[in-house]
Amino acid sequence: MEATLTDTPRSTLIGFSRDAVEELSRRKAEPDWVLRARLAAWDLYESMPMPVRTDEEWRRTDLRGLKLDRQIPFAGLERRGVGLADLLPAGEGGLDPDVHRAGAVVQRDAATVHAEVDPALAAQGVVFADLDTAVREHPELVRRFFMTEAVPVGFGKLEALHAAFWQGGTFLYVPKGVRVELPFRAFAVATEPGASLFAHTLVVLEEGAEAFVVDAYRSETQERQAFTSGVVELILRRDAKLRYVQVQEWGRHVWSFLTERAVLADDATLNSLHVSLGSKFAKNSIGAHLRGENSLAEMLGIFFADGDQFMDHHTWQLHESPFATSDLEFKGALKGKARSVYSGMIKVEEGAQKTDAYQQNRNLVLSPTARADSIPNLEIAANDVRCTHGATVSQVEEEHLFYLQARGIERSEAQKLIVEGFFRPVIDRIPVAEIQDFLQAAIAHKVGI
Amino acid sequence: MSETTATTTAAPMFEIENLHANIEDKEILKGVNLTIRKGEIHAMMGPNGSGKSTLAYVLAGHPSYEVTEGVIRFNGEDILEMAPDERARKGVFLAFQYPTVIPGVSMANFLRMAVTSVRNARADAAAADGGEAKRMAPREFRRLMREKMALLKMDDSFATRYLNEGFSGGEKKRAEILQMALLEPSMAILDETDSGLDIDALRVVSEGVNALAGPEMGILLITHYQRLLDHIKPDRVHIMMDGRIVQSAGPELALELEAHGYEGLRARFAPDLSPVVAAERA
Ligand SMILES: Nc1ncnc2c1ncn2[C@@H]1O[C@H](COP(=O)(O)OP(=O)(O)OP(=O)(O)O)[C@@H](O)[C@H]1O
Ligand SMILES: [Mg+2]
Repeated sequence: MEATLTDTPRSTLIGFSRDAVEELSRRKAEPDWVLRARLAAWDLYESMPMPVRTDEEWRRTDLRGLKLDRQIPFAGLERRGVGLADLLPAGEGGLDPDVHRAGAVVQRDAATVHAEVDPALAAQGVVFADLDTAVREHPELVRRFFMTEAVPVGFGKLEALHAAFWQGGTFLYVPKGVRVELPFRAFAVATEPGASLFAHTLVVLEEGAEAFVVDAYRSETQERQAFTSGVVELILRRDAKLRYVQVQEWGRHVWSFLTERAVLADDATLNSLHVSLGSKFAKNSIGAHLRGENSLAEMLGIFFADGDQFMDHHTWQLHESPFATSDLEFKGALKGKARSVYSGMIKVEEGAQKTDAYQQNRNLVLSPTARADSIPNLEIAANDVRCTHGATVSQVEEEHLFYLQARGIERSEAQKLIVEGFFRPVIDRIPVAEIQDFLQAAIAHKVGI
Repeated sequence: MSETTATTTAAPMFEIENLHANIEDKEILKGVNLTIRKGEIHAMMGPNGSGKSTLAYVLAGHPSYEVTEGVIRFNGEDILEMAPDERARKGVFLAFQYPTVIPGVSMANFLRMAVTSVRNARADAAAADGGEAKRMAPREFRRLMREKMALLKMDDSFATRYLNEGFSGGEKKRAEILQMALLEPSMAILDETDSGLDIDALRVVSEGVNALAGPEMGILLITHYQRLLDHIKPDRVHIMMDGRIVQSAGPELALELEAHGYEGLRARFAPDLSPVVAAERA
């Protein structure tokens, strides 16, 4: 990747403002339509109230620790050619960037440092690029899909802020009938102290297209608080199939917000997995609109919080058409003084007959000072549907520990086995050895912390 | 009878003296005395609820039981303060009456961890005594597991299943013996391993136990039935009643019990628990 921006004086901007939007766009030398879209989003942001704790979705979320007005609105934008190995040293416990892949985009802060896509796929019309490149090379596609359909700009206050300040991000477009088996890998690595990050993933699969996307977010823990607000948009046309995996390993200084929506047309299939391991605070809103008949969304989640981490997952299974299926399983473990909230909504609209919706959230609490709350919700306006949900919060059973210990396994190792066993049914549902191995190691590491 | 004298002079493994144990402040063991020497097989019988499993748990170090009095020595060492895993690494094995189901933990994974920790501890102990440290290689573990599974006529698919999940009663018991065969303990406590086994399985499991038994090993068999003792010949038979061993004798005691039941013993040793005595008193 060539350097397209020369070194600019370090930003002294603090806090989010209209000026900051203009400055960001100027530095990125963006086309005028992008700046106008950003400013419109900024106006929307300003007109919307901040979420308050009386809003159901924010009731259990304490935002007092987040100092939005003290954040640096964006990081340095210098593009520098950095080897994958420099940025993502092997053996760090993360996903290996060097495995077989259809393409990779690596971003450090807001700058893309590595981008590649299998030329054979590019020749078939597949686009996999950082969003800045996509804006330049495929403006018509970006204009059509970026925050229009899955997560519109006016979705909420933080989403509007995201639309005004998005930086970095990746775009995948797979044309009709093209099926890609190997994963497209996107890595977002944050390094600049205090800089906000607005990672964006936009995936569009045309009719009958198939793809596999892995998003990995990572940073080392730093002193200064950092704010990130990501948006993921997954658009699946008729009969498209997408496997989407997201692994969040932000440092413990990060306040992370994520809004993800998938839109599924007739016969489309989504298999998603969200893994939350990092950050000080994480609030994820993850949803699928089952807009087409016979569409299927499998939504899996694994979270593991320790220390003083707070993790909040809201999921949405939005049945808007008949004969669609959604199957959700989120599992969380908690240690130390960690707290988690899971709130899941199955919403079946009038006319969405023969809906089959399943939702399960299980939590394993490993210390007496950790706490998990689970709130399942159903809203059903059709009469011929099958909806099941279940939620549990439990502890490691002393009998299980004793059994393993009676076989010579040390208590701490026994605990690891049990926690790994707790997550195992979800891990077994992801038929990708690399991801299974990564999860197993990450869980063992977390138990051992 | 010369054999008996030989065994009584062998070194003691378990020495249990005046053992009292509570669960939730309720006294279950009320002064158990028992010595098991190397090479000896002891059978423990006794009515339901008399404290047999409690004794097994206390010997293995279950944290829910509180020992209020007495001592347990294993190979001369006081083990009361030892964690269960440490006891297991020293050679104590408990085959559970009700093996625990642990979801998501694969049998193979679990067995590998158990075998490596126990065998490596043993190898390290041998090395510390000036012997050779023979830690186990993964290849060797797989070979050993296949061998022992074949011995116990267990299907290979067991290895890929989750620990005891969906196992039938008999399969669970067989899996317990598989673990014993892999861990090669010097002291095995088998808590009703025979219950739930069909006739063929009883033979297979008994052969598995007999294959391990030998002059270096102590065995405590908790059972309700003579039929197990037809396969595994005990040196001593004890009867536990109301938290105490009320009678100890040779193998003929088990046959006697089979013929007469516990009532006579109960009237003598635990009259408060005897319906006959209660009726007489009334
Ligand atoms: N968690 C507990 N709380 C209270 N009482 C208990 C508990 N566990 C065991 N007991 C009691 O301890 C007593 C001894 O139980 P134990 O399981 O040792 O009997 P057992 O001799 O093995 O019987 P069985 O032949 O039926 O297996 C019983 O009265 C039982 O109810
Ligand atoms: Mg019992």
